[in-house]
Amino acid sequence: MFNFESLLFLIIAGAAFTYAGIQLKNLFLLAKAHQGTEKRCDRLGERITLTVLNVLGQKAVLQKKWIGILHATIFWGFLLITIGTLEQFLSTLIPGVSFEFLGKTFYSGLLWTQDLFTVLVFLAVLGGAYRRLIVKPAYVTLNKDANFILLFTGLLMISILLMNAFHIMGAHPWYENSLPFSASLSEGLLFLNLDPHTALLLGKTFKWVHMLIVLGFGMYIPSSKHLHVLAAGPNTFFQTIGRSKGMKPIDFEDETLEQYGTAKVTDLSWKDALDYYSCTECGRCQEVCPAWNTEKPLSPKKLISDLKYNLFRNKEAVLKKDYEAVSDVIDHELTSDVIWSCTSCRACEIACPVFIEHTDKIYDIRRDLVMMKSEFPSEVQTVFKNMETNATPWAFSADDRDAWCEDLPVKKMNEVSSPEELDYLLWVGCAGAYDDRNKKVLRSFTRILNKADVKFAILGKEEQCTGDPARRIGNEYLFQTLATANVETLNRYSVKKVVTACPHCFNTLKNEYGDFGGNYEVIHHTQLMADLIQSGKIKPSQSLEQKITYHDSCYLGRWNDEYSAPRKVLESVAKKPVEMKAHHDQSMCCGAGGGRMWMEETLGKRINVTRTEQALETGASVVASGCPFCMTMISDGLKTKDHQDTVLVKDLAEILDDSLTD
Amino acid sequence: MNIYVCIKQVPDTETKIKLNSDQTWIDTSGIKWIVSPYDEFAIEEGLKVKAQFPESKVTIVSAGPDRVVDAIRTGLAMGADTGLHIELPETADHFITAQAISKALQKEEKVDLLFCGKEAIDDGAAQTAQLIAAAMDIPALTVILEAQYTENSVQVKREVEGGTIEVLESSLPAVIAAQKGLNEPRYASLPNIMKAKKKEVKKVSLADLGMSESDQKVKLKNFELPAPKAAGRKLDGTPAEMAAELVKILHEEVKVI
Repeated sequence: MFNFESLLFLIIAGAAFTYAGIQLKNLFLLAKAHQGTEKRCDRLGERITLTVLNVLGQKAVLQKKWIGILHATIFWGFLLITIGTLEQFLSTLIPGVSFEFLGKTFYSGLLWTQDLFTVLVFLAVLGGAYRRLIVKPAYVTLNKDANFILLFTGLLMISILLMNAFHIMGAHPWYENSLPFSASLSEGLLFLNLDPHTALLLGKTFKWVHMLIVLGFGMYIPSSKHLHVLAAGPNTFFQTIGRSKGMKPIDFEDETLEQYGTAKVTDLSWKDALDYYSCTECGRCQEVCPAWNTEKPLSPKKLISDLKYNLFRNKEAVLKKDYEAVSDVIDHELTSDVIWSCTSCRACEIACPVFIEHTDKIYDIRRDLVMMKSEFPSEVQTVFKNMETNATPWAFSADDRDAWCEDLPVKKMNEVSSPEELDYLLWVGCAGAYDDRNKKVLRSFTRILNKADVKFAILGKEEQCTGDPARRIGNEYLFQTLATANVETLNRYSVKKVVTACPHCFNTLKNEYGDFGGNYEVIHHTQLMADLIQSGKIKPSQSLEQKITYHDSCYLGRWNDEYSAPRKVLESVAKKPVEMKAHHDQSMCCGAGGGRMWMEETLGKRINVTRTEQALETGASVVASGCPFCMTMISDGLKTKDHQDTVLVKDLAEILDDSLTD
Repeated sequence: MNIYVCIKQVPDTETKIKLNSDQTWIDTSGIKWIVSPYDEFAIEEGLKVKAQFPESKVTIVSAGPDRVVDAIRTGLAMGADTGLHIELPETADHFITAQAISKALQKEEKVDLLFCGKEAIDDGAAQTAQLIAAAMDIPALTVILEAQYTENSVQVKREVEGGTIEVLESSLPAVIAAQKGLNEPRYASLPNIMKAKKKEVKKVSLADLGMSESDQKVKLKNFELPAPKAAGRKLDGTPAEMAAELVKILHEEVKVI
């Protein structure tokens, strides 16, 4: 049964599989040696659905239309053609074996689709090469790896077509008509005047060419960015389900913990390793990164590949679990400037077709820099100290926290006799309490609440900063101090529902306080306003004549998937709402997230100015916002562009309040 | 080297100062206490000298009620080795504070360097550093912007009024009072905060030092808050009219011209 050819194949394939297998085993062990923990095996049904949709269905890849279609073609072709490759392997090992036993109709259908996809994949490869070499989008890095992969994929398709064409020429098999493209090629090659024996020999030669390239490719994959063909599927399965996510808490009670945050790549988790294995450097993250687009050193794409190469450089030490010998994660490539440039806007994560989570890694490296090394932009020290002593990032007294509403009919929790009768606790936030501009927003919002007969109260002096700035900057310890204090206060008043006008407070209260025993129904003020309009409790007149554009806040939009409520509020008031070129989940950050609100922006262009330019392009005379920090950043941007007198920034609460007749 | 850093715990800069009911002292309830910012420069300088002479020991000294131990722990979290708490009443004056510190340090290991802030931000008196130096009979170098140390001497740049800089050299031991700009105080790392909780803070009472509260020279009689600031006034009219109005106000109402 075996012959020389099958023996030769067995040896070559065996060697190739062994080589690739050892490399994959090492990759597995490297991921396993990561010390961070992750639990991601819950909600199996949803995970399977997401995986089927995004791997087999290519949903996330197809978010970008043209390159998405090219990729999907290559991917589906790869699946179909791999069945053929398997058949080639088997028939070489055991001469005469084929998948014909599946039934002639089925088999000829399979061959027909394989033949079609061989041509389509070849065309897709040409399209990909055209994009990389001629169009050259800025977010795609031209490198040898990518060209190599395209070249070999193309050669694979050519070898299959030639294999089939010569086979048809020499043998005229019954399924000849099921391979229309190969058959046409065969006819085209008739001028060669080959005798059947030579044609069959050539057919076999190209079969071997194809098989050898496949095996070579297999050996090459584990060490290249093409590793994504193996890692992206599992990474899709283990993704964070849903848009809302909180940061992972550190257990400071655990006395065995000696390292807080990530100093070395191995301080991250196996899921982080799977993330960097999955990255094929497509650049979609970099294309949308506000830091990269304003000439800062952060490219989310490079961050991920730098982590991967850091791991590979430290391979020996990591495999031996000699963590002492592993080099630091911050080096001349991945500098601390990269880490501090992130606004945590999450555009990278939304854009990533393989669900890589960039922000968690940045946060964890910041935790090490702040808590272990005390290395952070010097202006942040004052922010920490203010939060430590006065529970606000700004230098204001906790005694003045309720000064903004002294003359308003706003109740404090400690004045309310039966808190259970309240509809909402209004979480004011530090900006609402202390920032002169934002105080007006809160005043407008409370007027709306009173007009709609919503029963609410505030914590007053008992409210403290949610800790969001400290947490995003990396001071988890300070965050937890504030979070536990706030949870204690909220639970003491048995608070159930919270409304807030600050998306950062909103995100922290909604997605992060649960880890500290604070479970509340938290809504953003734009959501409540949209509800009040819909239920007819307030009746705005659609009277605003000016052109007006809404700027999405990252922590309301990308972090919590709320795009429609603010637009509903806007549409109820404005006759001419217009969108900026970047909006909804493609919106651009104002530059203040991730604690950047409290840092100097010394590198590159200013993010807020770039975003303001986009707002000005619409010709709008009002920029609507739902976030105090966005408001500050866009207002500053308008001053820079000398438009402070012609274009206004207003919170949606102010816009709605203005439209309500008394 | 034996390095001592004397610090004062003061109300946070954002505190709204209120008086107690009989107006004999401030109402301390609800006050957030911090290390006086100039004293943070002093702590940082002590730690920097220790980095230069690694065999050194840095001791944080603070005199006052029990709450000042928190301030001492802040210094320990920044990296100091040990603490010394001298029990003094809330209302202690600069003289008794300096005397107590000087007497307490006589019982400790030999002093090589003693750092203070140039003043505390609560009363802004800028007295204690000099009084300690006098009590210990060692040189006092105050309002220091820059310092270079050897084993037994120090050369400093001292800020004098008008932006002039004096360069002084002194033998050790000496008292150095820090001005803003001397250094940038570090932010305590979390492992150091944890370690600080376990470091020793020695407690000394006035009686231990052979002193009593009657040694205080200044007796506090009565406190009152400054009158609230009147709202600003905006002048209208042409520049000439506004100038005339301003002169009139300065002459007739404020009576300064």
